[in-house]
Amino acid sequence: MSNLGKFAIVIIIVIIVLGILSPLISRHPHNLPSGSALESPSWEHWLGTDDLGIDIWAQICHGARASTFVGAGTALLAGVGGSIVGMLSGYLGGDSDRIIMRISDMAMALPDMPTTIILGAFFGPSLKNIIIAISLYSWVAPARLVRSKVLAIKEENYMKAAKSYGANFWHMTKVHFLPQVLPLIAVSMIRLFSKAVVVEAGLSFLGLGDPTSKSWGVILHHAINFKGIYFTEYWKWWLVSPVFIMMSFTTSLAIISRELERLWNGKIEWI
Amino acid sequence: MKSKGIKKFSMFFALTFVMTTLVGCAQTTYKPEFSDGLVINLSGGDWGYPSPYTHYSRGPGMFKMRLIFDSLLERGEEGLIPWLAKDYDISNDGKVYTFVLNQGVKWHDGKDLTAEDVKFSFEYFIEHTPVVDDLTIGDETFIESIDVVDDYTIKITVKCPNATILSRLGATRIIPKHIWEGIDDPKKFTEKEATVGCGPYILKEYNKEQGAYRFEAFEEYWGPKPKVDSIQFIPVSDNILAFNKGEIDITGITADLLSKYEGDDEYAIMQNPAFWGYKLMFNMDRREELKDKNIRYAIAHSIDVQELIDKVARGAAVPGSSGYLPVDHIWYNQNVRRYDYNIDRARELLKGKDLELNLVISNSEEELRIGELLKISLAKSGIELDVKSVDMKTRDAMVKSGDYELALIGHGGWGGDPDMLRRTYATGAIPGYSNEEIDKLADLQLMELDEDKRREVVFELQERIGGELPLIPLYNTTGYIVYRPGKYNGWMYMFDHHEVTHSKLSYLEER
Repeated sequence: MSNLGKFAIVIIIVIIVLGILSPLISRHPHNLPSGSALESPSWEHWLGTDDLGIDIWAQICHGARASTFVGAGTALLAGVGGSIVGMLSGYLGGDSDRIIMRISDMAMALPDMPTTIILGAFFGPSLKNIIIAISLYSWVAPARLVRSKVLAIKEENYMKAAKSYGANFWHMTKVHFLPQVLPLIAVSMIRLFSKAVVVEAGLSFLGLGDPTSKSWGVILHHAINFKGIYFTEYWKWWLVSPVFIMMSFTTSLAIISRELERLWNGKIEWI
Repeated sequence: MKSKGIKKFSMFFALTFVMTTLVGCAQTTYKPEFSDGLVINLSGGDWGYPSPYTHYSRGPGMFKMRLIFDSLLERGEEGLIPWLAKDYDISNDGKVYTFVLNQGVKWHDGKDLTAEDVKFSFEYFIEHTPVVDDLTIGDETFIESIDVVDDYTIKITVKCPNATILSRLGATRIIPKHIWEGIDDPKKFTEKEATVGCGPYILKEYNKEQGAYRFEAFEEYWGPKPKVDSIQFIPVSDNILAFNKGEIDITGITADLLSKYEGDDEYAIMQNPAFWGYKLMFNMDRREELKDKNIRYAIAHSIDVQELIDKVARGAAVPGSSGYLPVDHIWYNQNVRRYDYNIDRARELLKGKDLELNLVISNSEEELRIGELLKISLAKSGIELDVKSVDMKTRDAMVKSGDYELALIGHGGWGGDPDMLRRTYATGAIPGYSNEEIDKLADLQLMELDEDKRREVVFELQERIGGELPLIPLYNTTGYIVYRPGKYNGWMYMFDHHEVTHSKLSYLEER
């Protein structure tokens, strides 16, 4: 793995640790005012405070929780769920394959952001609902990838041999399918992860997220909506901090997924 | 060196971000039609089709409708001034109001306005209640009969004299009889004719989706000549950015930005009177325990109003008066009971009880911030707030229908006639709340025709309300506005209103 990839992994680990240990790392609470409003960064408040006097570093650390929660939740739900659907579809073939693929066509035809906005508004703003809403249309990509791979594997001679010896679906999945589709699933889960983080931030930025979650998008939302923030100096810490951490996070994820693709390049031919 | 690099890096990201946002704005900028003369651009937003039946029931909706429709009297800088009626007379018993109309008043379609139109307007409004209903007190109208004396004189007899009749009759819009005569369902009447009025401006364009309006001066206007030839409401994403780019001509700013505009001849700054405010409402039907005065006191003692003002209003506000009428109101009573921020006192009043309450707020940035601070400070006294934010129009509808436990709502009109105390506090106004003493005083001030005596009653009423605290006025904003006097310098306030762009006189020549 290249140095860049290692660096990206370090950043992701650091951010996840920030989230997990946020109460220990930040000396101020993330939800209560601990200084006066809009203090500039200082030794006391590393990234300054927001309009309510709440420490921004504490909010960023805590926001890592919300963002990784949404990312991991979506990656698991849509990634694992989508893969299972794809595997079944590819394995079963016939009518069930056709039905599943037409459903996936429909899900793919829906524009992402508007759909999430509508689903988010319908279910009500909470992190859990955002995960469900994002998953509802993003299971398609892993499902199709896995399906095509399974279709290819199914035609191999050793598979036909296995079948003639009486191997059932579970056996074939365990021994033949999974080892070969796992890299695919891993890469698409990382993609889902970063997509979910961005979509959650986007929703919160629009004011449709969970206002109590204190995710990075919520911090950004409040900063942007502060009247005339561009003409004050407050944006230097209040706006830049969440943007910066979000960009580092998603860029690192993108680098990792690229690195993984390269590593597994011998095993996966679809690239 | 390294930190410098990071700084540059973060600056770059922030700049890219800001620029993408700006590009977004530029693409959606509404390009209004070209027109000659002085064009004033104001920040848009959809406030409904500006007929008396279809505009939204908030300031920006009302005043757009009022640009098109004149009334018998108008709100000037000092008080009511004669408008369509050049003269009026009130009989000694206070029951007969005679208005003499200006001659040569034309409707936008060229027809003449006569006393028949005035009579028709009043009768039509009594039959079909408009958005702003000035003719009803309680459940029924106070008007007994309307008689046309001649083409330009009208006599209105009321059932029972009271202190607010002149301003109510004076504020009622006059609509053209020849257009509205055949309309049975005015709420569905959104044809072009629905905005034919006799006011100084004609509606030329309305785009609901974009929240864009264009008004043009009415050339045959009977009254003071319009100084502004065209008033346009254009959609902007950020008012202050748009103002700086010259897209709009006036904007509200926070105290943080004062230094940017102060001392620069290009700009002029005004500070609004405290006639716009936030209040916290209780629904005592939904939550019986709120009927206990001590619980309401406890909530009031748990709120750090000064913190709200410093942080949310950025200092540009005054604490609300527990007697409702704000500091800038001519009849403000400063002896009303005060509820300081005192958590110990609040705990004492709660007697160890723990409360869980639902608070509904709109999704405006200020209300989200107030909601967050209220949640934090009420938690200190053991009151847990579950804050739910909804769209502004949804919140307004919830408040109107009583569908809430606690509600935060901000609105204007706090500088108006003190009869607002009756409308806000008398039985039926607050769900589940009724107080005989308040009802009695509220009726008394309405019926009292002698100004000084009425003032005394209103003062007593405020003290009574302050002691009861059926709702908590949080703070009244005194925001700053900035404009370019080089482009237009005619802005002026109405005597009881917080906003210069809402005053019709702002756009007309002085008389």
